[in-house]
Amino acid sequence: MAFTSKPNSGRTGARSIPRARKLISASGTTSARDIQVWDPLVRLIHWSLALTILLNGAVVEEESQVHEWIGYIALGLVAIRLVWALIGPKHARFAAFPPSPGRAVRHLRDLLAGDRRVHLSHNPLGALMVYNLWISVILIGITGYMMTTITFFGIDWVEEAHEVVFGWLLFSVALHVAGVAVDSWRSGVNLVRSMVSGRKTIPQGREVE
Amino acid sequence: MSQSLRPTRTRERRATVLAGLILLQALCALFFIGDVIEDFRIDGQFDNPHLILESVAAATLIAGVIFLMVELRSLLLRMSEMQLGLDIARGHVAEIIDAFFAEWGLTDAERDVAIMMLKGVDNDTIARIRKTASGTVRAQATRIYSKSATDGRAQFISFFMEELMSGDIAPEETAEEKSDQGSAALPEKKTQAPKQSSTKELT
Repeated sequence: MAFTSKPNSGRTGARSIPRARKLISASGTTSARDIQVWDPLVRLIHWSLALTILLNGAVVEEESQVHEWIGYIALGLVAIRLVWALIGPKHARFAAFPPSPGRAVRHLRDLLAGDRRVHLSHNPLGALMVYNLWISVILIGITGYMMTTITFFGIDWVEEAHEVVFGWLLFSVALHVAGVAVDSWRSGVNLVRSMVSGRKTIPQGREVE
Repeated sequence: MSQSLRPTRTRERRATVLAGLILLQALCALFFIGDVIEDFRIDGQFDNPHLILESVAAATLIAGVIFLMVELRSLLLRMSEMQLGLDIARGHVAEIIDAFFAEWGLTDAERDVAIMMLKGVDNDTIARIRKTASGTVRAQATRIYSKSATDGRAQFISFFMEELMSGDIAPEETAEEKSDQGSAALPEKKTQAPKQSSTKELT
């Protein structure tokens, strides 16, 4: 090509990239670092599920009809989320956050070593928490349903399992909130806001995974 | 500015509405399925018309939910593609502007002033931002005009507008077409496919 044979063309190219980046970020609008990660369905399900847990755990009277219905809604929400994890967009899929204890351990080690990478979907520890929360909700839902059936009505272990798993769920939720706080502080990405707006605002020069 | 650069906003609203519908309809579907199972458990047979009708309704609802989910996914995909295109375009614009600046041999200070001029910042504000006298900025602006062979701010800005609007096809083809015309100001940079920083981050 006639154009590229100019002696200064290589230098210009090398210099123009950081400058271009500066131009983009200097535009003050949503720059390339503002990345859409959580689709509206994921967000709706997340906050609805949080609401059902809050309502059934703290507001609604136990053994009431409403408690049962809210429980079924929670089960339904998890079911919808599982389907969405099969056919949904990239960041919502199982493939984006496989349940891998090995990766979680490695991630934890990296964290302690001061790694500040940003994960677009759930980070490996967060992924484990996600599965843990879903399984807990499903178990609570199933044991709760069993209590309404004639076969299992009044049987102690079912009721106990319902209570124990709910206790575990509360503990998990606390851990989940703490994890979100720690990771927001570590990575500089406000994770709560990203679950509301759907976007993660990645700080300049941070590695993304 | 941020509003005009976000044509995806109405689509975002549509996606949210779609997600809400999916959620409600899926819960309705699950309610029907639960009802069918419950009835079946009590009746133990599947031949009464009520149960059959209810099953059909449940299956239809499920199919509807799956369809809406696929629809939502393709809407989200279109949105992210649009955003990607926009980001690439922004990157290209930056590259092209920078290539022209290099071609004209603007100094670093002149580049900063020129960029701010393109963004519509007036001389006094440029002077404040760069912490220089406004006379300095005026002098730099004059040098920028003479180096770019334009006769003032309006022409300087419209030079880039003209450059960006002249091609209605792919950037590479535009560059070739331009070079055939022997456009004097076309820098060599433009024929290379510009390296993109934003595309990588978005995938």
